Amino acid sequence: MSLPPNPFAAKPSRARAAEKSVFWVFRLATYLVLACGAFVFGDIVLKGSGTVLHGFKTTEQFPYITNTFLFESPESLYVFEHDGKKVEMGDKEYRAFRESVEAKAKLAGQPAPKFKAESYVYSAGGIWPCIVGTVLLVLGSMTIALTLGVASAIYLNEYASDGKIVRYIRLAILNLAGVPSIVFGLFGFGMFVIFLDWNVSLLAGWFTLAFMVLPVVITASEEALKAVPKGFREGSLALGATKWQTIRSNVLPYALPGILTSSILGIARVAGETAPIMFTAAYVVRDKLPWDVDKFSDFFFQGVMALPYHIYVVSSKIPQNEYTERVQYGTAFVFLGIVALIATTSIVLRNKLRGSYKW
Amino acid sequence: METSAAPAKFSVNVPASSSAITPGTASTLIEIENLDFYYDSKQALFDINLKLDDRRVTAFIGPSGCGKSTLLRCLNRMNDLIDGAHIKRGSLKIRGVDLHRKDVDAIELRKRVGMVFQKSNPFPKSIYENITYGLRIQGVNNKARLDEVVEKSLRGAALWDEVKDRLHESGLSLSGGQQQRLCIARTIAVEPEVILMDEPCSALDPIATAKVEELIHELKKQFTIIIVTHSMQQAARCSDKTAFFYMGKLIEYDDTRTIFMNPGNPQTEAYVSGRFG
Amino acid sequence: MSLESAPTIRPFVIEKARTRLFGLTLDECIHAFFGGNAFMAVVVLALITVFLFREGADFFGQNRANLRIYREAGLEYVDYMRQQEKDHTALTRYLFDVRMRTVKYLTGVKGLTMAQTNAQLAAFDDFSSRYGDTVEPVRGIVADLTEVATAIKTKFTVNEDAKEGRRQLLAGGKKDEAAAVAITNLDFKAELAPLVGTLPAFKDASATFAKNLEQVVATVPVLPTPELQSRMLKFQQLTRDYIATFPATIHELETWDYTKPVPFTQSLTAFVFGREWLTASFWQDWYGVIPLLVGSLMVSFIALVLAVPLGVGAAIYVNQIASAREQKLIKPAIEFISAIPSVVLGFFGIAVLGQLLRAISQVAWLDWIPGFPFAERLNALTAGCLLALIAVPTIFTLAEDALNNVPRSFKEASFALGASRLQTVLRIIVPASLSGIVSAVLLGLGRVIGETMVVLLCAGNRIAIPDFTAGLAVVTQPVHTMTGIIAQEMGEVVRGSIHYRALFIVGIVLFSLALLINFLAQKIVRKYRISIG
Repeated sequence: MSLPPNPFAAKPSRARAAEKSVFWVFRLATYLVLACGAFVFGDIVLKGSGTVLHGFKTTEQFPYITNTFLFESPESLYVFEHDGKKVEMGDKEYRAFRESVEAKAKLAGQPAPKFKAESYVYSAGGIWPCIVGTVLLVLGSMTIALTLGVASAIYLNEYASDGKIVRYIRLAILNLAGVPSIVFGLFGFGMFVIFLDWNVSLLAGWFTLAFMVLPVVITASEEALKAVPKGFREGSLALGATKWQTIRSNVLPYALPGILTSSILGIARVAGETAPIMFTAAYVVRDKLPWDVDKFSDFFFQGVMALPYHIYVVSSKIPQNEYTERVQYGTAFVFLGIVALIATTSIVLRNKLRGSYKW
Repeated sequence: METSAAPAKFSVNVPASSSAITPGTASTLIEIENLDFYYDSKQALFDINLKLDDRRVTAFIGPSGCGKSTLLRCLNRMNDLIDGAHIKRGSLKIRGVDLHRKDVDAIELRKRVGMVFQKSNPFPKSIYENITYGLRIQGVNNKARLDEVVEKSLRGAALWDEVKDRLHESGLSLSGGQQQRLCIARTIAVEPEVILMDEPCSALDPIATAKVEELIHELKKQFTIIIVTHSMQQAARCSDKTAFFYMGKLIEYDDTRTIFMNPGNPQTEAYVSGRFG
Repeated sequence: MSLESAPTIRPFVIEKARTRLFGLTLDECIHAFFGGNAFMAVVVLALITVFLFREGADFFGQNRANLRIYREAGLEYVDYMRQQEKDHTALTRYLFDVRMRTVKYLTGVKGLTMAQTNAQLAAFDDFSSRYGDTVEPVRGIVADLTEVATAIKTKFTVNEDAKEGRRQLLAGGKKDEAAAVAITNLDFKAELAPLVGTLPAFKDASATFAKNLEQVVATVPVLPTPELQSRMLKFQQLTRDYIATFPATIHELETWDYTKPVPFTQSLTAFVFGREWLTASFWQDWYGVIPLLVGSLMVSFIALVLAVPLGVGAAIYVNQIASAREQKLIKPAIEFISAIPSVVLGFFGIAVLGQLLRAISQVAWLDWIPGFPFAERLNALTAGCLLALIAVPTIFTLAEDALNNVPRSFKEASFALGASRLQTVLRIIVPASLSGIVSAVLLGLGRVIGETMVVLLCAGNRIAIPDFTAGLAVVTQPVHTMTGIIAQEMGEVVRGSIHYRALFIVGIVLFSLALLINFLAQKIVRKYRISIG
C-alpha cells in the first residue's frame, strides 16, 4: 500500500538554504560581538587578577590579611641589581634598604655600594586613594542626581499636564542624554571650577557627573513610576487623599525599588566616565587621603584621585614594559571589576523586579 | 444611622407624568443643570439636566462612549485629573452646593463622594491598611477607632466573616469579588454621602456579581448610590431609577421599571431590548 | 440649617480654606517644587550653552588679533615667499617617489642588485640634485626674512605684555610704577621696511630660480618603463605649471599691504575652514578645526561601518530568530558590554589591540588589503574598532526596541500568507521598524563622535588632515579628534589664552553636532513612524 503524496512536505529549495545561511550570518554577527566583549574582559581579568592576588599579605595585627595593591597608595618602582640579583622595590622600601646597606658598609669600613636603579612612576604600591576617590565621587553625584532626577520624574509622571513647558523639559532631557561627556567636562570646568571658583574639587566633580547622569535617572524613575498602576492613584484620590499624600503613600513606595535598581546603571556610568572629571575633580597624584583635611569644609573643595583617571594616566603617561604592565592591568582589572559588579547587580535586580510586578 | 422613611423597593412604579425627568418622592440630593462637558475641544456631554434622589440607587446605562462614566466622574471631580477635561457650561450641585464654587475643595468633596472603580484596585497593603487608608490620610491614628471602623466597614461590605481572621494579609490575596467588596468597604470607611460605582461588576463572575448587587441593596439604606453599568439586567435588578445616555446626551430618565417596561423614547426602547449597543 | 435637615444627615461641608504660602496651598507648593526640579534639565542645558559661550566667545576676537599681527609683523609676507619654497619641496618629493618606484622595478622585476640599481640611476640622481639646488637663492632670502618677521612679532608681544602690566599696575593704583613701564609704540611701517625692501632681491632670485628650473627640466632622464617615463613627463609638466605661478606670487608680494584690515569673518573662516591646528609654534599659531573634525568623522565612520551590521544584525537575530533562552542570555551580555568603561577599552587598545592589528596587517598574504601593512600601532582603525564595540550595544538596544514595537499581527499576517521567516523579517519587520533602526544608528553615531577616552588613547593623535589620496588605506593613518584635543590640551593651556578659548569653541562645535544628531534621530522617528494601532 502506498501512502498518498503529502502536499505539505517540506521541499528542499534554494530559498530555504538561503534562509538558513542568512540566519547564520545574523547569528555570527551576534556571537562576534559577544566574543569581542569576552575577549576584552578575559584579557584584562587574566592579566590583571595576578596583580591583585599577589598583593595579598599577612599582617601581625588585625585584620591579619591585607592587600598591598588594593589598600596602599601608588609609589615609584625601583629596579636595581644587588649582589648580582635583580631586585624590585617600592619607593619607601628602596630608600630604607639603601640606607641600611650604606650604614652597614660604613660600619664595615667599606665604601658605600653604588645603586644604579631604574625608576618607574606609579608602578609600585597600590590604588587605594583612587578607589576611595571613585567611591566618593559616585556617592556624592548619585545623591544629587537621585534627588533631582526622582523629583523631576515625579513631576513629569504625576503632576505635569501635557503642555509647552513639559515638551521643553522632555526635549531638554532627551538632548541632555546625547551631550558628549567631554562637553560636560568643559561645562563643569567653566562653571564650577572657574566661575564659582570651587577649583578642582569633589564638589565640582559631583555636580558635573550628576548633571551628566541626570537623564538616565529621570528615565529610569519615570519607567518605575509608570509601572505603578493607575488604580492605586485613583483609588487613593477617590478616598479624599491629596495628590502628595497619594504619591507619598501609594506611588513612591511601590516605585522605589524600580527607581533604585535602574539607577544603579547610572552609577556604572558615573563610575566609568573619565572625561567629565579630568578637569573638574581628578588629580594625577595626591598623597593625602580625602578625610585627611584640616577643616570640614575643605573636604568638599579638594581634588581626589580616581580610578578611571588613574588608568588614563598609567596607560598614556608612562612607558609600557613588564614593570609598568602590572599596575596598568591591575588597575584596569579592579576598575572593570567594580563597574561590572555594579552593572550585573543592576541587570539581575531589574530582571527580578520585572518578574515580581504583579498588580 | 437607620433610615426611617425609606420607601419600599419599586413602590413608585407608575410614571407620575408624561415628562421623563420627574423627581420621585425622595428628596433630591444632586442637581445637574445644563451641563456641557469637553475633553479639549471634543464635547463629551451635551446639556445634561438631571436630579438624583437621596438614598436611592440610580443607574446610568448606555452604549460605550455615551458619556455615562464622564458624568459619574464629574460628580467627585475626578475629571480634574484629566488634562484638557473641563466644564464649559452648567453646574453640578450636591445639597445645593455648587461643586465648582471657588471655595469648594476637591479633596473634601471626594471624602464625601466616594468612588468604586471598574477594575478592583486594592492597594498592595494589608486588608486593614486598605480600609484605614482613608482615615489615616485625614490624620486619624487612634487604634481603637480604626479597629472599630475596620470592623464596621467590612461588615457593611459583607466581607467581615470572610476576612476577619486575616486582616493583616495583603488585599491582593483576596479573590476578585472580595477585592471589589474590599474597595467598597474602603470607600464606606470614610463615611461618604454618595458612592459612585463605575461598572463595579464588569470584571466579576456571576456569583461575585450577585454578592455585590446584594450589597448595593443594603448600602442604599445609608448611601446614595450611582452606578454606571453595561448590564441592563443589573440596572433592572438593583436600581430605583435609570438614566439612559446616548452620544453624550441624556435620552431618558425615569423609574427603572418604566425605562425597561415602558420607555418613552424609541432609542431607549431599542437599547433596552438589545437592538444596539 | 442643621435643625431643618433630617437628623441623620450630616451637613454637606465640602468647602475648606487651606493654609497658603505666597498664595499657594501646600499641595501647590509641592507641585511647584517638583516642577522646579524637572525644569533643571532645561536649566542645565541652558547653563552648558551659556558657559561654553562664556569661555569660548572671546576666541574670535583674539583670533582676529592673532591674524592681524600675522599680517602686521610681516609673517604673512614671508609666508607667501615660503609657499614657493614649499611647493618646490613637494615637487622634489614627487621626484623621490618616482625614484622609489624605479628602484622597486629594477630590483624586483629586473632582479638587479642595489649597487647595479644605483649605477643605473646615476643620471636620475644627478638630475634630481640639480633640481633640488635650484631653490637655494629663494631659500636663503626666506630664511633671512623669517628672522626679521619673528623679531617684529616678538617686539610686538613684549610691548603688549608691557601694556598689560601697566594696565594692571594702574588698576592696582600704583601710578608711579605704571609710568616707569617702558612702552614703545611700534612703527610697523619702519619695522617692515627691511622686509619689503627685499622684494627686488626676491624678484631676482625668483627669476634665476625659474630660469634654472626650466633649464633643468628641459631634459629629463630616461626611465626604463613607459609607465615611469610618463610619470617623468608629468613631472616636467608639473614643474612648468609651478613656474607659471611665480608671477602671481610676485604680484601678491607687490600688492601686499600690512594695513589691510582683517575682517571679523576671516577670524571665523580661519577656524571653520582652517586646515591647520598648530599651537605653541614659534612662528604662527593656527586654529583650524578641519583636521580635528575630519579625524572625528573618520573614526566615527569606521566605527559605524563595523558597528551597524553587527548591531543591527544582532538585534534582528535576538528579536526574530533566537530562542527564548538565547535571548535571555544575549541581551544582558550585550548590555554588559555597554558597561565596560571607555577608558578601559582605550587601555585595551594601547596594550593589546594596537599590536594585534599591526601584527595582522603584517601577515604576508593579507597585504592585498588597502593600507596593509601599517607601522603605526595607534591609528584611526584601532580607535574605530574599539568605538564600534561602544556603539554596538547602543545600536543593538535601540534597534531591538524598534523591532519589538512592530505589532505581532504584521508578522502573523505574513506567515499566514505562506512567507518564510526570512521573507517576513526582511520584507515586513525590518521595513516597518526602519525609522527606529535609522535613529538607533544616528544615536550610535552621537555616542561615538562624543567619545573621548578611546580616541585620546588610541587614535594616534597626529594633528593633520589624513591623506585621502591613499584611498581606503587612509583608515590606517593616525588622526586627532575634537574630543581628544580638548582632553589632551585643556590641562596644559593658560586660562583665558586664545588656545584655551579655541578649545571651548571646539567644545561648542561638538555640542552642536551632538544636538543636531539628536534632533535628526528624533525627527526621523517622528516623521516616518508608521501609525501602528
